[in-house]
Amino acid sequence: MAITSTIGLAGSAYSRSCSTTSEFAMAATQGSLDQTQLSLYTPVLTTPSISQAGWSIHTAKRAILSSDEIDQVTERIKIPLPEMIFGNNHVIIRYDASGWEIGFNAVDALDRVAKHGNPDGGLVKVSYSEAWLRDKASSEEGVHEVVKPFDWTYTTDYRGTSRPMTTSFEKTEDKIPLHKLRRPDPILFFEDIVLFEDELGDNGISMLSVKIRVMQDRLLLLCRFFLRVDDVVFRIRDCRIFVEFGENEVLREYVVKQDSYENVKRKIPLRTRDFGLFLRDPNWVAEQLPVIETVTEKAKVPMQAMS
Amino acid sequence: MSNLDRAIEKLRDCQTLPEQEVRELCYRAQELLVEERNVQIVDTPVTICGDIHGQFHDLITLFEQGGECPDTNYLFLGDFVDRGFYSLESFLLLLCLKVRYPDRITLIRGNHESRQITTVYGFYDECIRKYGSANVWRYCCDVFDYLALGALVGGPGGVFCVHGGLSPSVKHLDQIRLIDRKQEVPHEGAMCDLLWSDPEDIDGWGISPRGAGYLFGGDKVHEFNHTNDISLIARAHQLVMEGYKEMFEGAIVTVWSAPNYCYRCGNVAAILTVGEDLERKYRIFEAAPQDAKGMPAKKPVADYFL
Repeated sequence: MAITSTIGLAGSAYSRSCSTTSEFAMAATQGSLDQTQLSLYTPVLTTPSISQAGWSIHTAKRAILSSDEIDQVTERIKIPLPEMIFGNNHVIIRYDASGWEIGFNAVDALDRVAKHGNPDGGLVKVSYSEAWLRDKASSEEGVHEVVKPFDWTYTTDYRGTSRPMTTSFEKTEDKIPLHKLRRPDPILFFEDIVLFEDELGDNGISMLSVKIRVMQDRLLLLCRFFLRVDDVVFRIRDCRIFVEFGENEVLREYVVKQDSYENVKRKIPLRTRDFGLFLRDPNWVAEQLPVIETVTEKAKVPMQAMS
Repeated sequence: MSNLDRAIEKLRDCQTLPEQEVRELCYRAQELLVEERNVQIVDTPVTICGDIHGQFHDLITLFEQGGECPDTNYLFLGDFVDRGFYSLESFLLLLCLKVRYPDRITLIRGNHESRQITTVYGFYDECIRKYGSANVWRYCCDVFDYLALGALVGGPGGVFCVHGGLSPSVKHLDQIRLIDRKQEVPHEGAMCDLLWSDPEDIDGWGISPRGAGYLFGGDKVHEFNHTNDISLIARAHQLVMEGYKEMFEGAIVTVWSAPNYCYRCGNVAAILTVGEDLERKYRIFEAAPQDAKGMPAKKPVADYFL
């Protein structure tokens, strides 16, 4: 098997025109709504998966990280990684004339997970946690310490990594034109890539994945975080990127949805034999969850590379 | 040719057995397993295998790589079912081999060999799909309750085999022997810990950030090995890209035997042969080609998602 995974994270093979640290740092202070982190991920860009109307889409779909790579990334982001960590996968949307891009990768997404916290407040616990903690044999060695508490559900507010950051996203009243996306225009390119997935020790699922479809005149990307903690909670965080190729702007819509497990379960059609089928289907769950927050932003894409 | 040999042939072809045959098989397996101890004693040489998770075609590859049963003596660390598409065929094949060659294959219980977990993670659905009722699932779950919790390979200085890991309630192997194992996997206590816990780079014991379940450090592993006169703990339960991973100066190893886990992880699988002199030999293998019948296509189907 060809495991090409070391290249991406070692990150020396590909250098970008505007990726100096100072530029990133400066850009970071300017972003208001934009995410202000520096990217920890250096993609290895090969031939674009597709080029269309001056835009190119780069995708990488590789194996999970090796143990050495896991150690490297853990060292950098300071939390244990999800069980299935596709750290060398990415989707990048690039405007060729200026090199502006927005991409999605697991490492940057995980860097935005809450890395600390108090198990007694804020952090989610598995459904039987209280019973387990109460019943665990009290005579034994007095084990009461939770090891490095962090948000083990890997809930992230990741909205992509854009470079250079001098082009920031601003809030807008514009909406993604769904009517255009509902048209059955031929799909020239489609990809569905998992960035990470964790079975939460068989307590549910946490998953971040990216879908993209490119039509002749526009593209849509959906980066979806899906969480089910059995008998506790459902969460969805959808980040959509919409590009109308003729216009030099990018729309980004970020939607937070959440509800209790119980509430969602109640919405399963009666007469069904298989509850699991519904609860495992992110698309069905997405339609059941109430929207907690929606933020739509717009970025003007530079037409040429900045000098 | 006996019925059992015929069943093995059928299962090797990835065909299911009629419900009545499954029922008989499960009954015979229970009769056999009830006599086994919580910690089975296993002679060397033996080939230790980790999670299979219903990846039937990869299980066939495993036997090609490690040698067929009964020529090779096998020990499976549990998690035969869930996730993959052929949990039923995988588990029944192992069970048939167990009934046919009881001294040449040892099956111990993983956390997925449980009613509750299989209901959520695929095996239950698979049985309903293939038989139209939950009967076969019930027969299999009844067998799960009789599976051993661990094994001791090679006598003094040997290898302790368990699906998950250690438990703070178990300092001596004898304490495992006291557990009444014939039950659904409980939510807490020694039996639960053995099937669920994970090693971690910590000192002593810790509680998982999820709020339930134990993590154990290298000091606890060394202590356990010393107390029980063993040189290695062989466990499974966690996905490893390289198929196996030794920790704490080789005092514990994770063995993972489901290549390209969930048909998308791209990992290799490993099996560990412990020789007569307790020498460890790892064998790595890759996933069976995905063009086999019923496997998910590599290329995703375009959809008009919004």
